[in-house]
Amino acid sequence: MLDLVLKAFAYSGGIALTAAGITLIYMATRTFNFAHASMVGWGFYIVFAGYSLLGGTPYFYVPLAALFSGLIGVIIYFGVNRYLLKVGASPITLMMSTLGVDLILLASINIFADYLTEVHKLAARYFVLELKDISLGEVNGTSIRAIPFITIIVVVLTIVGLHLFLTRTKFGIAVRATIENTSLATILGINPEKVYVLSWFLGGALAGLGGGLLSITISGYPVIGMTIIVTMFAGSIVGGLTSVFGSLFGGFLVGLSEYLGITGLSLTLGGWILAYRMVIPLAAMVLTLLLYPQGLAGIKIKRLSSQSTRVKPPQGIMKEEV
Amino acid sequence: MVLEIHPIILNILVNFAIGLIITVSLNLEVGIAGISQFGRVLAVITGAIVAAAIPGRILASMFGLPAGAEYADHMINYKIVDQINRILAVNLSLSIGLLFLTLVVAAILGGIIGYICSYPALRLKEAYLGITLLAFGDVLNTIAWNVESIAGGTQGVNVPDVFRWIGVGPERYFGVILILIGFGLLAFIFVERLIRSPFGRALKAMRDSEIAAAVYGKDIVRLRAQALIVGGALAAIGGALWALYTGSFKAVTYTRLTWTFWPWAYMMLGGTGNNLGMLVGVFAFSVLRTMIYSYKTEMTAFIPISPQWFEYILVGLVIIVMVLFRPQGLLPEKPALTLPKNRIEEIMKRIKEAEKR
Repeated sequence: MLDLVLKAFAYSGGIALTAAGITLIYMATRTFNFAHASMVGWGFYIVFAGYSLLGGTPYFYVPLAALFSGLIGVIIYFGVNRYLLKVGASPITLMMSTLGVDLILLASINIFADYLTEVHKLAARYFVLELKDISLGEVNGTSIRAIPFITIIVVVLTIVGLHLFLTRTKFGIAVRATIENTSLATILGINPEKVYVLSWFLGGALAGLGGGLLSITISGYPVIGMTIIVTMFAGSIVGGLTSVFGSLFGGFLVGLSEYLGITGLSLTLGGWILAYRMVIPLAAMVLTLLLYPQGLAGIKIKRLSSQSTRVKPPQGIMKEEV
Repeated sequence: MVLEIHPIILNILVNFAIGLIITVSLNLEVGIAGISQFGRVLAVITGAIVAAAIPGRILASMFGLPAGAEYADHMINYKIVDQINRILAVNLSLSIGLLFLTLVVAAILGGIIGYICSYPALRLKEAYLGITLLAFGDVLNTIAWNVESIAGGTQGVNVPDVFRWIGVGPERYFGVILILIGFGLLAFIFVERLIRSPFGRALKAMRDSEIAAAVYGKDIVRLRAQALIVGGALAAIGGALWALYTGSFKAVTYTRLTWTFWPWAYMMLGGTGNNLGMLVGVFAFSVLRTMIYSYKTEMTAFIPISPQWFEYILVGLVIIVMVLFRPQGLLPEKPALTLPKNRIEEIMKRIKEAEKR
């Protein structure tokens, strides 16, 4: 049981990081980034390749994975997204463009996996790094691995780091200003382009970080990103898509409910339900969108504690009344 | 009589026919009605499930074979379908009746699926709607994959061959392709006529400005639901035909990649909103994809990449290039003329003469 809860935490932490990446890119550039799937997938493969070829522990290669996926993000921005933002493309066009990028990236992961398989004779089309994780000790015969704790630490550090960056540094304030109102920020001398590049880099880095950490928790294969992207989107949407912290929390919640929920259901209803695991995040996402489209970020916590604050109205989710 | 046609050409024609049905249905919803349909696979898989589950069961119960949940058991299924096929091979009217029954049921269920989709489609905007419909499609795929009693689950089922009367081997292949092309062109003409009807013009008005269309008395709720119902029914027919053609059904092959994203790529290449563009886009992609698979051994000698990844890269590149350099597609949408061209010119001439006087 303890083993299960720890694994659920590790999984949810990874999902939370990737969901935060989706939200960051969406907030800055209004782009639903489908390429996140393959950016996470590259995170898996960087860690796997680094560990298998160079040795050490898988953790060494997690920062490298973050950097790599961050660079992919920057390339996507300069290659595709920048031009489309300039000509004011519709959200659907932005989304489709990232889908095109995702197909190319997916092919590149597959080619890389083929390369690892054929040249280095690694079992790269399906791998499990969980057993290579550091063991912290044993409780009741089950060994406690480091990954849940490290994931939680990384999530907390991300929250603190992002918070400090967005509220204490000049550039962070510029980022918030640009997200809030781009034209006003431009008038005040902020270069929105820098903000876009940064958000693509950070969003990509969060994808790589999440992917790298998830690779130590769950098994990896080339289309892993495609498999879990719905959970990542669900986390991001449950979080409200208007706040990075909201989606960190949303991703955590969706991940936990998926992992623990399906296990709980399988204990009461039987093992057949395990196959419907992905229905949980999907249902969470669809229900959030249809019933409470602002997501967790829209819940008026401050008003609940009887302080009057003006809550930003949700933007652009619902259709305007006809 | 066996016509000597290169198998590559036949393959291109199959992909073209099925792709055309799916893509014109997608174009009706996305290009004409402006609904971001990212769940095309939902209606397609509905049609395929109908083809996998219903005609075989009907015949099985008619001839006293097991037709309940055990019909979909893969250990029994192939025996039942084999017997059914032998009956169908000599019974032309039964085969054709079964084909049309399957298509009608698929269309009805596809329409119902479309109507269900109109619930989120009325409430959510663009990308949010896209993600929601994508989620719906994934859920149905998971159900079909895991519930064995409907259509075989992970093992899949065999689909009764309603084209067996044509013959077996190359003859059947050729005949089915002719029928599929016929259905593809029918779907194309149907959507073309629909776009030029008052209903099509109302859909375009809604796409261009919902508020303006509502001001002129168009019921937006109804229009959206109708567009989704017609599109869903068409796509379900496409899915059913595909399952009938291949003679088997396996849920895992109905992914969002193949049945949602690729039709999107076809549509974007052809020109979103232009029905004629769909012919061009689907044909170009059918040729490219079939060529990649047919010449994979020759290709891997040049580039050491598995052709499947090459195909992904190609589709991805086409999407990106179209989005960046030609967002209107190869054949951009043109205003649809309600009267023949020479009739309009005649009227314009008359107006000019009236002005002169």
